[in-house]
Amino acid sequence: MADKDRIPPWRHTGSRRRLLLLIIVLIPTVISANTMARLLPDRGSILLDTFLVAVFTTLFAWISVGFWTSIAGLVILLTKRDSFRVTRACDGLDLSIADPAARTAILIPIYNEDVKRVVAGLRTTFDSVRQTGSPDRFDFFLLSDTTDPDVWVEEEEAWYRFCKEEDAFGRVFYRKRTSNTKRKSGNVADFCRRWGKSYRYMAVFDADSIMSGETLVRLVQIMEARPDIGILQTPPKAVNRETLIARVQQFANHVYGPLLAAGLHFWQLGDAQYCGHNAILRVEPFIKHCELPRLPGKGPLSGDILSHDYVESALMCRAGYGIWLTYDLRGSWEETPPTLIDELKRDRRWCQGNLQHTRLLFTRGFFPAHRALFINGILSYGSALLWLAFLTVNSVQAISEVLFEPVYMPILRKFLPEMPVWRPHWAVSLLGSTTLLLFLPKFLGALPILLADFRARLYGGKIRLFFSILLEVALSMILTPIRMIFHSLFVISTLLGKSVGWGTQSRDDRGTTWREAFRAHWWGSLLGICWATVVYWIIPSFFWWITPITFSLGLSVPISVFTGRAAVGRFFRKAGLFLIPEEVERPPELVVLDENLSRPAPYTPFPFSRKQGFLRAVVDPLVHGLHTSLLLRFRRGAPSKERSREKIVEKALASGPDSLTRKEKTALLRAPHHLRELHRKVWRLGEDNSAARWGLVPPEDESS
Amino acid sequence: MNFPAGRSSRSDVTPAQRAARDRVMLYIRGLDLPPAKGLRLAAESMEAAPSSPEEAMDALEKVLGEEGLLPGLPGERGQNIRSFPPLNRSVMVAEEMDRIPWRTSFFRFLRRWRRELFGREK
Repeated sequence: MADKDRIPPWRHTGSRRRLLLLIIVLIPTVISANTMARLLPDRGSILLDTFLVAVFTTLFAWISVGFWTSIAGLVILLTKRDSFRVTRACDGLDLSIADPAARTAILIPIYNEDVKRVVAGLRTTFDSVRQTGSPDRFDFFLLSDTTDPDVWVEEEEAWYRFCKEEDAFGRVFYRKRTSNTKRKSGNVADFCRRWGKSYRYMAVFDADSIMSGETLVRLVQIMEARPDIGILQTPPKAVNRETLIARVQQFANHVYGPLLAAGLHFWQLGDAQYCGHNAILRVEPFIKHCELPRLPGKGPLSGDILSHDYVESALMCRAGYGIWLTYDLRGSWEETPPTLIDELKRDRRWCQGNLQHTRLLFTRGFFPAHRALFINGILSYGSALLWLAFLTVNSVQAISEVLFEPVYMPILRKFLPEMPVWRPHWAVSLLGSTTLLLFLPKFLGALPILLADFRARLYGGKIRLFFSILLEVALSMILTPIRMIFHSLFVISTLLGKSVGWGTQSRDDRGTTWREAFRAHWWGSLLGICWATVVYWIIPSFFWWITPITFSLGLSVPISVFTGRAAVGRFFRKAGLFLIPEEVERPPELVVLDENLSRPAPYTPFPFSRKQGFLRAVVDPLVHGLHTSLLLRFRRGAPSKERSREKIVEKALASGPDSLTRKEKTALLRAPHHLRELHRKVWRLGEDNSAARWGLVPPEDESS
Repeated sequence: MNFPAGRSSRSDVTPAQRAARDRVMLYIRGLDLPPAKGLRLAAESMEAAPSSPEEAMDALEKVLGEEGLLPGLPGERGQNIRSFPPLNRSVMVAEEMDRIPWRTSFFRFLRRWRRELFGREK
């Protein structure tokens, strides 16, 4: 595709910018490392000192990158000068797609999700696309990898009802995969193999993603104008959560996110990262170049590539296509995990996926920027372990100062003793510069907001915006130690060979119970209490330095419960804190989403819940008919398999649906003839107790 | 309660008949047919006075079959609903991801960077 001899102009600029980044990160890092080395008391072991300086240097460089990225973003947002802005391609165009062959498939991969939320999101995006000038250029695919038989049936029914209500047959499709090979990336690849050739582009969503029709049309227009682009990533805004931790994340995403996104665009240009959702991809090169192999070997760093998005973007770039971030495009939303525990569960998966990238760092043909992104991803979790090691070694060194006598004459033939010198102004300046790197970007995030509207109305006013930033800083300081020890645990357990399963992401504001919090955090609390006690007992003066860490760890159970409560989040919302523009002035798409979520449930004469999908597929004649009808090309299995299915039917009739395991239910749902037989026999059950198990008569004690 | 002469009282209906009637009515409600049509089909299936849910459902199945309202199976009577478009197959082959020694990788990185900094523009 790309002419290899000639280099696109953005690569020249990108290389110069990255050289600049390297210089402005390395120079302060070297100075700080030198200061740190001189600050150490010279009485601990040389090994410990060297380790401390090495870890400090890595972490300082790491946070410097974030700082300079925010500064670069701020410059772009304030000057509004960016000759590489990809959205230039659609400036002045109306909201239509001229070429009828420029068809886009909107993919919504789902895995045991809340069906009501998925369909509400689908309906919202579908409505919004319909209002553009080119609705016929878009098709929608619900790509199900669901393993729960109840959810499977619910999905089918929801898809059918949606198509009937919106007259969307032939435009909105549903596909259930029998095997979940390669998880989400395999799900998308399966689409590409079956229908990819029919589409020029595909927009990949998450189950909770919403994108406006206008944004989708703009993305297609940019892709049409720039055939050198392989992937266009939008920066999705976090919305719709009520719990405190999620609202704080939403606020951070809105205030600091634009700076980071613009800054990342400044360094990365066409070497940006694909996040796996809320993005549009060119299908042909994706099919040709982006199929992921299994990593050979055993253990968690092998097998299916979990963080597939990083690798797909590296492969797309290797094939000569650019990956760009549309940092200034709005109308793209997602939802964040509602509680700390949900966030940590997600991080566990991401951690394993990112650590797998250590095996891909030296893959032939990958661009340096993508290798840097791999390192960045690895450090996202590896840095937690480094912080923990840094703090632990600091404590050990402080303790060793008390326990061991200082050596004033390390070399016998030395004339003068070496006296330990404490340079408080160095320590303060080092602490100050680290604090500046960490927290200044947060306050700088308010600048573009205030310049756009000095009253900051969409954030509750400038005073509230300021207090929200302060509180966000405080809360992230409280949460960081808890995240640190969990991320460290994830890194260690992954390296020790413990793999993760594929869990469903929680997407509601149910909160965390005390029991759940205790089960997740007891060991962290214990660690914090022991750490604080030992330090206080041996060296009380150091205790106060370590308090921010041990305090959070010791109280991690109540912190987890408190931050996961929707009532607390709503209290802050009422107080006008952590407000985001979507809460003050709801965009039309999110208003429609709310309406879609509150649509009344359809009529059913049966007494069981809509979530009891298997039961409904057996009993409800309409659901049964739909399900069996959707099982295309069913072939009867081997006699042994048929016999085992017959046994399941017998068991179901004798003991009711609750007696069946998830595997047995799935086996029946995959066998339409046996399901039909069960349907007929259940409706012919005479004995009241048996019929009551299937919801055909009220239970005996109720009817009598 | 006293019923006027000629009207049947509750005691005229046996529990089995009641069960049969309720089963048929529930199935008809489950089909969510237009009320008049649903009641007509239910009445037709009850004409033979079934004395058990099994007999009632047999009769109802016959009536529904005549009306083409029985839940279909794949391949029968062309009632399949396709939930996805016709296949348009292509092949996706996993990319080669062979590694190179880190030193080679580093020197290549420097060469590439130099080329990108000072090479010819498109």
